[in-house]
Amino acid sequence: MPAALKSKGTLTVAADASYAPNEFIASDGHTVIGMDADLMKAIATAMGLKIKVVNATFDSIIPGLASGKYDVGASSFTDTKEREKTVDFVDYLTAGESFYTKASGGTEISTIADLCGHTVAVERGTTEQADANTQSKKCKAAGKPAVTVLPFADQNGANLALVSGRAQLGFADSPPAEYQVKKSNGQFKLVGQSYASAPYGLAVPKNSGLAKPIQAAVLALMKDGQYKAILTHWGVQAGAIPASQVKINGAIS
Amino acid sequence: MSTSELSEQRAGRPDEIEAVPVRHPGRWIASFVVVVIAASIVRSVITNPRFQWHTVGHYLFDPRILHGVRITIELTVLSMIIGILLGVLLAVMRLSPNPLISGSSWLYIWFFRGTPLLVQLLFWNFISALFPRIDLGIPFGPSFIHANANTLIPGFVAALLGFGLNEGAYMAEIVRAGMLSVGEGQTEAAQSLGMGRLAIMRLIVLPQAMRVIIPPTGNETISMLKNTSLVLVIASVFDLLFEASQIYSAQFNEIPLLIVVSIWYLALTSVLYVGQYFIERRYGRGFSRQQRVTMRARWLGSRGNPPVTDTG
Repeated sequence: MPAALKSKGTLTVAADASYAPNEFIASDGHTVIGMDADLMKAIATAMGLKIKVVNATFDSIIPGLASGKYDVGASSFTDTKEREKTVDFVDYLTAGESFYTKASGGTEISTIADLCGHTVAVERGTTEQADANTQSKKCKAAGKPAVTVLPFADQNGANLALVSGRAQLGFADSPPAEYQVKKSNGQFKLVGQSYASAPYGLAVPKNSGLAKPIQAAVLALMKDGQYKAILTHWGVQAGAIPASQVKINGAIS
Repeated sequence: MSTSELSEQRAGRPDEIEAVPVRHPGRWIASFVVVVIAASIVRSVITNPRFQWHTVGHYLFDPRILHGVRITIELTVLSMIIGILLGVLLAVMRLSPNPLISGSSWLYIWFFRGTPLLVQLLFWNFISALFPRIDLGIPFGPSFIHANANTLIPGFVAALLGFGLNEGAYMAEIVRAGMLSVGEGQTEAAQSLGMGRLAIMRLIVLPQAMRVIIPPTGNETISMLKNTSLVLVIASVFDLLFEASQIYSAQFNEIPLLIVVSIWYLALTSVLYVGQYFIERRYGRGFSRQQRVTMRARWLGSRGNPPVTDTG
């Protein structure tokens, strides 16, 4: 573990708390709770550190790690090759991407290829934003209408765009998409199949020496059952990975 | 001839004055300190690699950034036009003797100054959550235009409504202050000539009020230029800051992109400064000779030269 962190004694963790059940704000209005927060608490305890989880906009977390503002980004980050250029990841879960729409009068699509000509609300800086932009280029190349991508600062903005009809579809990681549909009082429904399963990674500053100790802590939590218990508590146990998949920088795309 | 002989020759007359300019050692010391501090700031900004000046240079004229600059200018100009027209209307209403007219103007100003601009912007953008369909027509009577709120009010229009209507409330107070600054004698004289209320406003009061209205309006315009960056929250208007955020959220180079954005806002603000100077000079005609100073004299300091006369 880096000496500076050991003497500081507190792990500062950033999460974008608009992504339930992985990270969201508790009913007290300011505490960040969720699967990532609980997992990071257990990891910090295993490392003998205290923890402070702070709320941040998603697209500011990686720059925040690079500038030393945060020690760990635990915010449903998909481990991608592009992001690995700036930060290191410890993979700890797997999740796909899902579309959701308004329950009544929503737009039906089955795969991302059907996105041409539609308006989709995403969170800024997410893999969904990148995927939707890539699909838009494919649509244009095929002579079809482009995808209108509305990137919001947080997931709440994207959901509001869906409620108000600014966007026809929401596009997020499967666990939060499913959770939001469940909590929407029948306003939203999932459309199409979850796809593009990819590893989630805990992000740490590049070459900070933090990846290895965090990896060891995740493996320890898997062994003593805490890992499974936390995932089950937040209903995301379907994304559990075996110990062999807890890689450092294991991006598949 | 020695000095003593000279003074004897001039006996009875006071000595020639040996005028020595007052020394200002303090000024020299202060200037030195300022120059040293400025030089060290410039040096640290230029040499600190964390500013990533090469990235700044790479994106400064990126087509996406230039598109953002254009949208920012459009938003600022259109919002200010809406704001100024609305402001004049509201100010005239506010000064109306009819309590219903002045009361409704007061209510408008109270509402739009009393809620945050950001919140108003969100309301306009998500208006269809409140009114899914908008019908325009005779109140309680037939309507002529029925449209889906999102079609009628796309993101850009939502932004204009948010900025323009909010600005109208602030401009109303500025215009009202300007009107009140024109002496009552002016109105009375116009009335004695048989002019009506609106003619007095248009021909007598407003032209004279302009001198007081212009400087705060310039201030509002500069403020508006930067406030337009709030469209970030509605995610569909690609202004300068939003275009930059699109780039940095994919490339993780937040700081250099924010520097690019700052450079552009500073450049645009500088243009507004020049514009404000010329408009101020025009409406200050005949009021003060201080106004008749050229741009060059203002920048270089007038140094007590006689006022430069020009054709302004």
